[in-house]
Amino acid sequence: MTTQAPAIEIKNLTKRYGEFVALDSLSLKVQKGQILGFIGPNGAGKTTTIRILVGLLKATSGSATIAGADCLTETKAIKRLVGYMPDDFGKYDNMRVSEYLDFFGAAYGISRGKRNKRVDEVLEIAGATHMKDLFVDALSRGMQQRVALARTMMHDPEVLILDEPANGLDPQARIDMRTMLLRLADLGKTLIVTSHILPELARICDVVAMITKGKLRAAGTVDTIMREIQQRRTFEIMLLKEAHVQQVAKKVTDWVESEGKTSDKSHQVATEVTPAETERMVRFSTALTDEQLAPLLGSLIHTGETILQFREVATDLEDAFLYVANEGTQALGETPRASSPISQGASE
Amino acid sequence: MNPVIRREFVGILRSPKTFAMLMTLTALFSATVVLQWPADNSSVSGTQSLQVFRVFGYGLLAGTIFLVPAFPATSIVNEKNNKTLALLLNSPLSGLSIYIGKISGVLLFSLLVLLCSLPGSAACYAMGGVSLVNELGALYFLLFCMILQYSTLAMLISSHVQSSDAGVRITYAAVFSFLLVTLIPATFLSGTTLLPSSFLTAAEWLRCLSPLPAVMEILGDGDVGTSGLKQNSTMTRFLILTILSSAAFAALTLNRLNYRIFDRSRSKGTITNDRELSTRLVRRLLYVVDPQRRKTGIPWYLNPVMVKEFRCRRFGRSQWLLRLIASCAIISMLLTFLATTSAESWGVTTIGPLLVLLQVILVVVMTPSLASGLISGERDSGGWEILRMTPLSTFRVVTGKLLSVVWTLLMVLMATLPGYVMTVLIKPDLAPQIQMVLICLFWITLQTLAISAAVGSLFRYAAVSTSVTYVTVIGCFLTPMLVWLAREAPFGHDTVETVLLSTPVGAALNVIGARGFEDYQLLPNAWWISGIISAAMFIVLSIQVWRLNRAV
Repeated sequence: MTTQAPAIEIKNLTKRYGEFVALDSLSLKVQKGQILGFIGPNGAGKTTTIRILVGLLKATSGSATIAGADCLTETKAIKRLVGYMPDDFGKYDNMRVSEYLDFFGAAYGISRGKRNKRVDEVLEIAGATHMKDLFVDALSRGMQQRVALARTMMHDPEVLILDEPANGLDPQARIDMRTMLLRLADLGKTLIVTSHILPELARICDVVAMITKGKLRAAGTVDTIMREIQQRRTFEIMLLKEAHVQQVAKKVTDWVESEGKTSDKSHQVATEVTPAETERMVRFSTALTDEQLAPLLGSLIHTGETILQFREVATDLEDAFLYVANEGTQALGETPRASSPISQGASE
Repeated sequence: MNPVIRREFVGILRSPKTFAMLMTLTALFSATVVLQWPADNSSVSGTQSLQVFRVFGYGLLAGTIFLVPAFPATSIVNEKNNKTLALLLNSPLSGLSIYIGKISGVLLFSLLVLLCSLPGSAACYAMGGVSLVNELGALYFLLFCMILQYSTLAMLISSHVQSSDAGVRITYAAVFSFLLVTLIPATFLSGTTLLPSSFLTAAEWLRCLSPLPAVMEILGDGDVGTSGLKQNSTMTRFLILTILSSAAFAALTLNRLNYRIFDRSRSKGTITNDRELSTRLVRRLLYVVDPQRRKTGIPWYLNPVMVKEFRCRRFGRSQWLLRLIASCAIISMLLTFLATTSAESWGVTTIGPLLVLLQVILVVVMTPSLASGLISGERDSGGWEILRMTPLSTFRVVTGKLLSVVWTLLMVLMATLPGYVMTVLIKPDLAPQIQMVLICLFWITLQTLAISAAVGSLFRYAAVSTSVTYVTVIGCFLTPMLVWLAREAPFGHDTVETVLLSTPVGAALNVIGARGFEDYQLLPNAWWISGIISAAMFIVLSIQVWRLNRAV
């Protein structure tokens, strides 16, 4: 078995601005051809990490390499190896798409003959061939994102770093963007993609890294992270009468607490119970096992409650992220962030 | 109270920059008078106070022209780009209320600017010899009318442009056209017998669009462009034209203040290469360089940033440049021809200084528009980060950007060469002086470019950098002229000479033999100083670019 060198390797990357720690010993590896979903709330340190990777920022300590080139010292090599698509399009007035791409091709030193071909190729990959003669300042957001992707690919980089590529796109454009990113991965490109639209990432990413407050909270394949998250599952109990919601919520809280005291893993059993009266629903998330939970339904029925449904809510990447994010803030001794609408029992 | 007035006026006042600006203005106006206040009370005479009043009046005119248009120029376009105009139009406020709110905010601010000058004007009045109504009152009334005209014009421009930067650029160009270009026809047509009298009347009325003749009349300087003939109707004509034009600008802007302002389809990106043969032929005849023709790639021997700058500026596109150069060439030849054939008093020694001044005005008006946004425009649009990610060195990026402006300015300067050639043909002994003037013009261009690029690079947003650069450049070039105007008193010969050295404009006028500049010894020191200022500005630009480009 041969061990392939990672395309991107980050070791103990730290970035401080005076007292403020923007990145705190971040370590991460991405293999060639993989798509990494880089997730974190606003201000988590995603863009700082990306800017260090592309050579626009200097790290306080630690190291980062892309295809063996040091991001901190070999910036010239990094510029050739990496295609960076920032959140901002960077439009120029009165320039047609072909002229725009031609300029960036010339900036990367591609000869005129090759450049003409390359413009057509990248527009084809980005599904933007029909935009060739349009003015860049007259493009819609979706069109701009395609052209930006084409620009990022002009010099045929090994690694593509895309900051919020699906931001502001309509559903169809998001699907198209997803298809394009998968096509790029098929071409052997390594991708780092940040996005707030987590279901999008779950569908395309091989690996996911979750970051909050500059610290890496979880990393691995989507399945691995899900399995970790599954230790704390969310359940819904649907009732016949709205008036019984508070009463059932109290019973569930008491029951889970008493069960938790007898559990070996009592420290993990901390449970959130949320009544949602307008939906006639009680939601709770817990780390109790199936065996421990099974008697709860019988107990509720035994006390005279009319239960319509008792079900487990499937956890997705969004919940996983919120869980990890909240764990992060709790670890720092702060008030946890609001949970997802599901676990909050939003009733509006 | 109209909520828009409150928001606009309070919004302007809340800005610390506005506060600093108003304080600076007050200090400057007060300092002007304090510096010239006679030490001995017995020396206070009507003549001296009038001289102080002249400097004060021109300073006030320059201050209002520089400062006021920047605010209305961005007023509507900023609102549109921030998506708040749609909210305002969707509110029960009518288009008229919104317009009145906005223009009132600007006018109230302008009144504050005028109020800042009150300590200065009070001192002028206290010195005696200056009439409260006929001079001070008339000056303030005229300036207020001018502010109304320029504000309505700026708002009209703001309602048509797509970016605040474009709003500022076009507004300043329009303001300077109103201020100076309107004077040209009357200046050169006076006394000519070649054209029918209706042309001369039209030129006379056009001249009155500029506030300069009326201000000069109030300040007791006679009138510009009248060859010594006093025009009593200048003030009245100016007021009539100002009120009519302001009403027209306001009506046109109001016509835009509805949902049609957003009704702008995206360009279809039509390409001449894909059109019918007949269309292609017609366009070939109309455009020497067709802007809609598909461009070939950037050749290896050209700096890609320079080509990009040319292509992404509407003005920089070749067909516009060629039109401008052709116009300059024709105008310069026409001016020389008309001036030498019109009146007895117009000789080549008179036309020379006018040509120099016209070129300086052209350079001073054009350069900030081209150079102020070289760095800030890139930062504003988000292109700077992307440029930093390319292998292009910082040096190549900056030189590409500067070259795109240098070429444009050189072509504009070259376009006026026919005027000088004609002058040399008429009077060959002027050739050495013309050579010196051309060297001065080169230094003027370089200095303007350096100041514009350096000052513009210090700001994050293109509109702000354009406004500040215009104020700085015009201030740099106008201040020596204002000091020169007060050359007999209160400023002495040495002071005027020292101030004139700060730009090569005085040197160029001295070499060409302009009246009032003969007594100064400005060369070669003016060139040295211009070179040092330019070098210092380029160093500032380099440091700023290095600062922006480093990974920290």
